[in-house]
Amino acid sequence: MSKELRFDDKVAIVTGAGNGLGRSHALMLAARGAKVVVNDLGGGIAGEGQSSKAADIVVDEIKKAGGEAAANYDSVVDGDKIVQTAMDTYGRVDIVINNAGILRDTSFAKMSEADWDLIYQVHVKGSYKVTAAAWPHMREQKYGRIIMTASAAGIYGNFGQANYSMAKLGVTGFANTLAREGGGRNIFSNTIAPLAGSRLTETVLPEDLIKALKPEYVSPLVAWLCHQECEENGSLFEVGGGYFGKLRWERSEGKMYRVGRDITPDTIKAAWSQITDFSKSTHPSDINESMQPIMNNISKGESKGGNEFIDVDEALGYQFAPSTSSYDERDLALYALGVGAGDDPANDKDLQLVYEMHGTGFKALPSYAVIPAVNQIITMAKEGKTAPGLNFGIDRLLHGEQYTEVVRPLPPHAKLTHKSNVKSIYDKGKNALVTYETKSYDENDNLMMVNELTAVIRGAGGWGGERGPSEPKNVPPTGKPDVVTEQNIGANQALLYRLSGDWNPLHVDPGMAKAFGFEKPILHGLCTFGYATRHVINACFPDSDPRFFKSINVRFADSVYPGETLITEMWKDGDNRVVFQCKVKERDKVVISNAAIERYSEIPKPVAPKKKTESAQGGAAAPGSAEPISSDIFTAIGKFLEADPSVAGQIQTVFQFVLTGPDSVYTVDLKNGGGSVSAGETAKPECSLELSDSDFMDMCTGKADAQKLYFGGKLKISGNVMASQKLTFLSKLDPKLVLDAAKARAGSGGGAPVEAAPQSDEPNSADVFIAMRDYVEKNPDIVSQVGVVFQFKLTDPDSVWTLDAKNGKGSVDEGETQKPECTLELSDADFMGMTSGDLDAQKLYFGGKLKISGNVMASQKLTFLQKIDPEQAKEAVKKARAEKAAGGGTAKPAPTAKTVAASGPGLLEKLASFASANPGIVSEVAAKMQWNITGPDMRWAVDFSKGVGTAKEGTLDSADVTFTISDGDLAALTSGTESMEVLYQNGKLRIDGDLQVAHRLGFLKTLA
Amino acid sequence: MANKVNVLGVGMIKFAKPGASDDYNVMAAGAIREALNDAGVEYPEVQQAYAGYVYGDSTCGQRAVYEVGITGIPVFNVNNNCSTGSSALMLGAQAIAGGMAECVLVVGFEKMEKGALGSKFTDRTNPLDQHAGVMSKLQGFNQAPPAAQMFGGAGREYRWKHGTKKETFAKISVKARQHASNNPYALFSNVLSLDEVMNAPEVFDPLTRYQCCPPTCGAAAAILCTDAFAKKHGAVDPVYIAAQVMTTDYTSSFDEDSMIKMIGYDMAKQAAADLYEKAGIGAEDVDVVELHDCFTANELLTYEAIGLCPEGGAEKFIEDGDNTYGGKFVTNPSGGLLSKGHPLGATGLAQCTELVWQLRGTADKRQVEGAKIALQHNLGLGGACVMTMYRK
Repeated sequence: MSKELRFDDKVAIVTGAGNGLGRSHALMLAARGAKVVVNDLGGGIAGEGQSSKAADIVVDEIKKAGGEAAANYDSVVDGDKIVQTAMDTYGRVDIVINNAGILRDTSFAKMSEADWDLIYQVHVKGSYKVTAAAWPHMREQKYGRIIMTASAAGIYGNFGQANYSMAKLGVTGFANTLAREGGGRNIFSNTIAPLAGSRLTETVLPEDLIKALKPEYVSPLVAWLCHQECEENGSLFEVGGGYFGKLRWERSEGKMYRVGRDITPDTIKAAWSQITDFSKSTHPSDINESMQPIMNNISKGESKGGNEFIDVDEALGYQFAPSTSSYDERDLALYALGVGAGDDPANDKDLQLVYEMHGTGFKALPSYAVIPAVNQIITMAKEGKTAPGLNFGIDRLLHGEQYTEVVRPLPPHAKLTHKSNVKSIYDKGKNALVTYETKSYDENDNLMMVNELTAVIRGAGGWGGERGPSEPKNVPPTGKPDVVTEQNIGANQALLYRLSGDWNPLHVDPGMAKAFGFEKPILHGLCTFGYATRHVINACFPDSDPRFFKSINVRFADSVYPGETLITEMWKDGDNRVVFQCKVKERDKVVISNAAIERYSEIPKPVAPKKKTESAQGGAAAPGSAEPISSDIFTAIGKFLEADPSVAGQIQTVFQFVLTGPDSVYTVDLKNGGGSVSAGETAKPECSLELSDSDFMDMCTGKADAQKLYFGGKLKISGNVMASQKLTFLSKLDPKLVLDAAKARAGSGGGAPVEAAPQSDEPNSADVFIAMRDYVEKNPDIVSQVGVVFQFKLTDPDSVWTLDAKNGKGSVDEGETQKPECTLELSDADFMGMTSGDLDAQKLYFGGKLKISGNVMASQKLTFLQKIDPEQAKEAVKKARAEKAAGGGTAKPAPTAKTVAASGPGLLEKLASFASANPGIVSEVAAKMQWNITGPDMRWAVDFSKGVGTAKEGTLDSADVTFTISDGDLAALTSGTESMEVLYQNGKLRIDGDLQVAHRLGFLKTLA
Repeated sequence: MANKVNVLGVGMIKFAKPGASDDYNVMAAGAIREALNDAGVEYPEVQQAYAGYVYGDSTCGQRAVYEVGITGIPVFNVNNNCSTGSSALMLGAQAIAGGMAECVLVVGFEKMEKGALGSKFTDRTNPLDQHAGVMSKLQGFNQAPPAAQMFGGAGREYRWKHGTKKETFAKISVKARQHASNNPYALFSNVLSLDEVMNAPEVFDPLTRYQCCPPTCGAAAAILCTDAFAKKHGAVDPVYIAAQVMTTDYTSSFDEDSMIKMIGYDMAKQAAADLYEKAGIGAEDVDVVELHDCFTANELLTYEAIGLCPEGGAEKFIEDGDNTYGGKFVTNPSGGLLSKGHPLGATGLAQCTELVWQLRGTADKRQVEGAKIALQHNLGLGGACVMTMYRK
């Protein structure tokens, strides 16, 4: 595989090949089969003189080694003649290695124009002439390899080589464009910058170093670049002394200004570090890549302006990385205290904001919605994170305006994800206004709240940008406010408020406050904001219920000192809007102006949690289980009330129980009539108890104490809390009543446990079969299409149905059939899921939840089930239910499980008598067999190990083999309808121990 | 004439339980770096890459090799169920043998979920529906992991035919754990007694839990190359692939009403016959074997399918200790799928890795003395059986 790279049939021109690098290139190509035109003028290194000797020597050397070569003595300036030699001698040219060169080193100060021109002539013009003459041939044959020889001097500059550097980078650019123009025709051009000991470098490098830099270290790269397999094109390589490496351009990310920006030399100076920073660099490899960022910038349109503090183009619309936070009842209560709630502990309106077990329910003060958003902005500021283009310090920032909106009442605890962006930037002349928008989402990605924080950036305006809206918002009407609320702000209020997250020392540290020009620490503007929200809710909302709150919009006009008196003046603007302002009474200063609060006309509903709630009446245990569940207790309560109607008269309260996990709601009416118990909500509960299903069970069974549950926060009581004391009668419930209820429920196959509960309209599996029957009756041709008898064995609760889509007109009946062709076994729930399309049959099958026996492929034909019209199905079910209610049900009662009884003892007797009658077979079997039979369970000790076989009930001490089989399958085995092999393979017969014995039990199939 | 395919380098990472591993790209990169190191090859020298995995979206292979290098080389993603790793290996070997490349990387990796294998796409024909159909007909579809039902069912059929003791199956697990106790890369390194295996919870009669390979996360890789490439890298007598064969199902899988046939007995039998013919070496010449012991029942059946013992002779073979040190062959010195673990895509390459170490004599405590010829058997339901003969 690893063949030498060959150049057979290729014709190469190497200029300046009489010595050094050129000679080395020529020898290497020739040694690998190329026909080489060895060009050398035979001059000195400075371009003086001419002779044929140098080229001839190399040609001789090649020929002696068995290669092919022809000499040419022309100057590269006559490049067409060199190419002509190749065409005349070999008829083609495949490779051009522009290697010839001379030096005229001198410092620029001393350099003559002749020095400059001569270098240009030989290196640039010479490379051009040779290449230009070869180019048409290469284009014609669609193949060519061109090498330019550059130098580190051109790439990096070198003292005394101004002319040479010019020429060397000239040929590099030349090759780069040839690469673009020739690439499509398989003409590849590359440039090398060699460092080799040659006649040219003798003048600049010490002798011993030159020896180490043999030309032979350069030629392998040149040869590879000239090989037909090499696809490199338009590249530049540094090579020499054993080093091979590729060069590319690196460009800094730089600084980009939108079109239309006023860019001055000062702007450039200011951005210099960014312009020259290579930490985010790119490596453009062609003109398009080079231009791309510029084109992108142009496509972004005109600049919106900016200055040293704010670059609107960069900052506007910037999306911050999302952040998360969470809060709970403690945070909400602490916040409410921080904004003055509860300074009168008798004020019930405030109490519901701070007391998590409040009788009408704990409620969040909605202005709390500003806290998570502001806290994350404060956190970002502390960490020095800012949007690109916002280059001002936090000391310039004043909280100017705040808009906060909640989509629905805040839940008592939540985990939030915040997504923030720079929403608007306005140039207000002296100052700038920057609005940060934060949208916060709950764990299910539902939008919870929107905040817009508008900051005044002092002294950062004046770039001549957009001024933004100037109309003042929320201007109070002339005339007296409709409502005024006055509240003294506690002297320690800032100390309390800051615990909600704004730890700025300005609000607590007297020294710091003085440094900022205040006589003492000032109150947080957002603390006043919270006071105002409370005042408006308490004064203007229906029942002072904070859950109506939609949004608040304020402008912070001046600061407040703790201990001052706040006056909130409110003007109602329609039903759902209040315009307000806040003043400090002592100084008669407006501190919050242009403010409004909007409310919803109805309390928004909480979003339903995404997980599916479990069935309402189920309880933890399976419907068919006789373990008491919560519904049994309610059934028992119903019985209890029936037995003693006087209870209701003593209690006189309507209770509602809201149970969770699984969720259910029951109403216990101990007020009207003799009292009643029903599943479902009631319109007017007087006392509502909320607790988990399991805690309810524990409470009713005496395992848990109601008071402890209450104080542990596990039982929530709302409404008339005292009334809950009257529930002590629960502990008097006769346990037997509960057990009876459980038994009755289990016996009825999980039917409705509470009589008063309305009958479920949810279809059940029987309904599906009724719909199936209806469909089969209406579509008799299904029989000819399907032609299979199916049996459905459902579990949990258990039922068996037969779908005969083979005989007669087809039928659907409850119960087993003698000869099912395809049996499907699955749980009732999975069956419902499958027929409603929620679950996939194939998935159930491969997941092991659907067991198909018999003709598996026939199950494919059940797809007609999906064609059943749901409306017709409903009709059929309705009809069937009505008939059933009238006592004339058409569904056949399920036959009692029909195990073909093996009549155990009878069979055992037969086995015993067989054993005594057939000593030959017994001695052939020669084994102790333990037979374990299930349903009904029996243990047979069958000992055929001695001369006389015995078979009796019991267990052998040491059996050779143990067979485990159901009574029904044993009947099938002993009647010959099933073979032992089949029963074993399908797992119905288990064989532990010496399986060989089974092969000797052929007699069993005739036993029954 | 095909080029000789040398296995210049191999590498793997320690296998881990689902949930306890790195992501697939990190695992794969670990194995690739091991293999490159082992081969003394720089990644840019790799001309093609073949990446095997079963669970993952398309082009995980690229994502995995990009961890090590981004060089624009062809990368092929290979998916062939449990024989994915060796299928990738075979493609890589073909590229070398056919002169398409001088040096290729083969990597297999798998990030598995907890629990039994299942079907990921339920809106289309299940590729195993024909296999499952055979099983349903013979023994129904039960509530055990489907693969355990298939191989366990084959075990039942074998047991019925030959009256095999359940202990015989269990002994394979005992041996596997003994071997694995010397393998630092194995998932399970603690030994088990016969009682412990027998008394473990039953998954599907006759298989107990310890007789089923665990879902595993892991990766393994190999560098394949030509002689010239190996020489250039100074490799002296590298391990090479003497022969390699892949078979897929024959009609016997579906129309003979046999669980043993359904799980690929004839695929293995034919693959072995072809392999021995191609290599000119018979089973009797083999020193060390890595075979596909996804369940003990399959190891037992494979002994017979690939000719390590005569048909019906597996019980005696096991009782005589001919499957371990001191016997005729050492099967699964690594601990096999049962103990080392079975990250589907990685298994074929982990087997290859073990066998290369064995042939180099660097398998430490697991070393099969003087191993000169190694045999690999990797089987996937669906189906494909890849067998490879390695020599040094």
